[in-house]
Amino acid sequence: MQAELRKWRATFEVSWTNHLAYRLNFILLVFGPALVFFFIKYNLWKSIYTMPGITVLQGYDFDQMLQYQLLVLIVSLMAQGHNSMKLADDIRLGRISSYLIYPFSFFKFHTASFLAFQGIQVLICGFTISFLMIIPLVTFSDFNSVMRGLYFASLVSFLWFQLQFLVGLLAFWLEETWILRVILMTTAQFLSGAILPLEFYPQSFVKFLDYTPFPYLTYIPIKIFQGDSINLLNASLVLLFWSLFVYAINHILFKRGVRLYTAAGM
Amino acid sequence: MIKTIKKYSRVYRHFVSTSIALGTSFRLHFVLLILMDLLFYFSSLASVSFIFDHVNQIGPWQRTEFMFFVCFMLAVDHLHMTFVSESFWELSHQIRTGSLDFLLLKPIGTVFHAFLRFIRPASALNIVVTWGLLIYYGQAIGLLWWQWILMPILMLLSLTLLVTMEILVSCSMFITIESFGINFLRMQLQQLARWPDFVYRLWARRILTFGLPVILVGSAPVHWLLSPFEFKFMAYMFLAIIVMWLIIAPVWRLSLSRYESASS
Amino acid sequence: MIHAKALSKSFRSYIKQPGLVGSVKSFFSREWTTKHAVENFDLEVQGGEIVGLLGPNGAGKTTLMKMFTGIIVPSSGSVNVIGYKPFERSIAFRQQIALVMGQKSQLWWDIPALDSLHLLGSYYEIPEAELKSRIAHLAELLQVSDLLKIHVRKLSLGERMKMELMSCLLHKPSIIFLDEPTIGLDLVAQKTIRRFLLDYHEQHKPTIILTSHYMADVSALCRRIVLVLDGQKQFDGPLEKFAQILGTEKFVKFQFAESQNPNSESFQGFKATWNPEYTRVEMQIPEKNLRDASIKILTNHAVVDFHTEKLAIERVMDELMSNPALAASTQNHAG
Repeated sequence: MQAELRKWRATFEVSWTNHLAYRLNFILLVFGPALVFFFIKYNLWKSIYTMPGITVLQGYDFDQMLQYQLLVLIVSLMAQGHNSMKLADDIRLGRISSYLIYPFSFFKFHTASFLAFQGIQVLICGFTISFLMIIPLVTFSDFNSVMRGLYFASLVSFLWFQLQFLVGLLAFWLEETWILRVILMTTAQFLSGAILPLEFYPQSFVKFLDYTPFPYLTYIPIKIFQGDSINLLNASLVLLFWSLFVYAINHILFKRGVRLYTAAGM
Repeated sequence: MIKTIKKYSRVYRHFVSTSIALGTSFRLHFVLLILMDLLFYFSSLASVSFIFDHVNQIGPWQRTEFMFFVCFMLAVDHLHMTFVSESFWELSHQIRTGSLDFLLLKPIGTVFHAFLRFIRPASALNIVVTWGLLIYYGQAIGLLWWQWILMPILMLLSLTLLVTMEILVSCSMFITIESFGINFLRMQLQQLARWPDFVYRLWARRILTFGLPVILVGSAPVHWLLSPFEFKFMAYMFLAIIVMWLIIAPVWRLSLSRYESASS
Repeated sequence: MIHAKALSKSFRSYIKQPGLVGSVKSFFSREWTTKHAVENFDLEVQGGEIVGLLGPNGAGKTTLMKMFTGIIVPSSGSVNVIGYKPFERSIAFRQQIALVMGQKSQLWWDIPALDSLHLLGSYYEIPEAELKSRIAHLAELLQVSDLLKIHVRKLSLGERMKMELMSCLLHKPSIIFLDEPTIGLDLVAQKTIRRFLLDYHEQHKPTIILTSHYMADVSALCRRIVLVLDGQKQFDGPLEKFAQILGTEKFVKFQFAESQNPNSESFQGFKATWNPEYTRVEMQIPEKNLRDASIKILTNHAVVDFHTEKLAIERVMDELMSNPALAASTQNHAG
């Protein structure tokens, strides 16, 4: 057990180092896009709400809309930062051979790597929330909501990790998986309420979305942060269901993939 | 001059043929690229449409005008995806691995080679969708025949302005070894350009018009199409393109002098 | 052809302390170190020469090649190649040079070699008809005519290297830089490429600058060697003079029918290395003593086999690597 923990810890440390090594990349890939996205939406909603006759739209006044968009930023940092580029490259470039020999599986390695990345994200999120509360640009109804929100966002990050893992595993069959990652990002952003609160979407469409995991990626965590009456247990169970479902698919895909696998000679 | 044009035409023909050979050898990839673009177009248009389900106008524009702007930017984005995007990503890869060495040895303009080398044939096929949407909304706002004739030129101007700014941003790849992230910086420029100028608050608008003129990419030509007697934005756009082109040559040369070429 | 004076190149890289804390620290502030890849390097190469740049990994050979071709800019000093400053990278300069790197490929991986060659032909403005005939001619010489329509990624290393050579010779460059062209190739492929280069050189007389780890490449192709150690030139002269750096001793190996007494008079006075059974010995004998010493051993001992070899340049290199002080004394041999 100790030996196993040691492997996890060592992988965690190396991944942590790796993630921080390219500091500019880190800012540009993770932080920058979220900030620019927020900046655009701040400007857009400001220009909409300053028009005559517009004070409340679908239950949101300007401050509430701003809060919503800030929480999109926080949730995306907390839950959706990770991507499976390295995983896909490991498969594409034949580096997977090493994992098949190491006494530490491919799954465990990438999960430990994800945990290292998430560790950094939690720190960044913590700083961001504190900073925004100090200004104050964002207010929470109570401390409880913040904790519930952070807890739920962590669960979401695990589902996101599984979804990214799924896309990465397709590298066994596809030459390049970046397209699928972009499709996942585009779809998730559009369907999860990251661009617009779901109240703005046609209601029939939102009813259909309830049967997908997408609202749980951004919209539901935001509602939890805002202290809305979301049944946390129910939401956690739904998220757990989707995570296990995707995990099961990953497991099957990995087995099939390894069978098909031929090392790319470099 | 004629000899140079002939040479570059011949080289570009080979760029196209090798890109088509490359693009069609992975069929699933080919189809997924088309799907990715279509999803992006759909989500961009749907997002704006959903907003207009609840408001009558944003700034001076109503639904059809705003949608026309979105379609114009999608068409520019389509050209970008088809003709230059792949080359930008390849450049960061080449700088990182040192395979840029061979590009520097070829007796041809390095900017031309670096940024026009790769074409995405799959993306090219989406022209049907982007121009279909552009024509639909263009007719809705009542564009005249001569405006349609000028449309491709305006689009090329927009693309030129966007690409020149991206080239300047990309020059920083030579200074920082972390070149991959610079691509995301470029993408943020594109994000900013996808919204009209009046959406941005005063100081943001000034900086993004005169400092880093990214909002002129879409706003200038569309404002002009909607109000042909207002030349202010187009004048800014021309000025911006000229200034950018004047800056590119020395900045590119300086960047190349900083290239360290990853060791083999 | 090449005139380099006091050429130098330095690179900066940062130092990171290990561990989690080190990573976070280095995120905010970094300590930099400078590596002098090439220092004060002088070189004169005339047209038509084949010059070998020798040296261990990290010696600076590839950095020199990259400065000669204009890929990187020198930190200081001057360099002139075929009348041009390489780092100005004029079109006319690029039309006349070629570079092959054994560890990097310039061909596009996912398309047939022929497509790459046609694209290259367009860069160098080679008329279509002439391009076709040059490709056919070079492919025949290198025995790759059947492989032109196959995707480059499907070719073996040797086949790929032949395509790389073809691609660099299409435009008949006046100066060719070959950076480890035979690395990773089997013996047959290496021999083929060496033969091809010699024939090509005889016919077209380009200047060739070659770096290689394989002494067989250098011995076969180069008349002149430049030794690079730690970014500095330590030797520049004919191949024969290099081989003589450690003296004019010969290695002589004797195989005996039975065990011998190593203290026997025949073996005294020379450095000798015996196998454990004392049936085989390798001796270093100065050239002037070779005849007498050999006759003595052959007469007094039951020799079943023997042969001599010059102190091969591999051994010279080995000695220079393990005995850096010797490198300083080779300055006397610099041409």
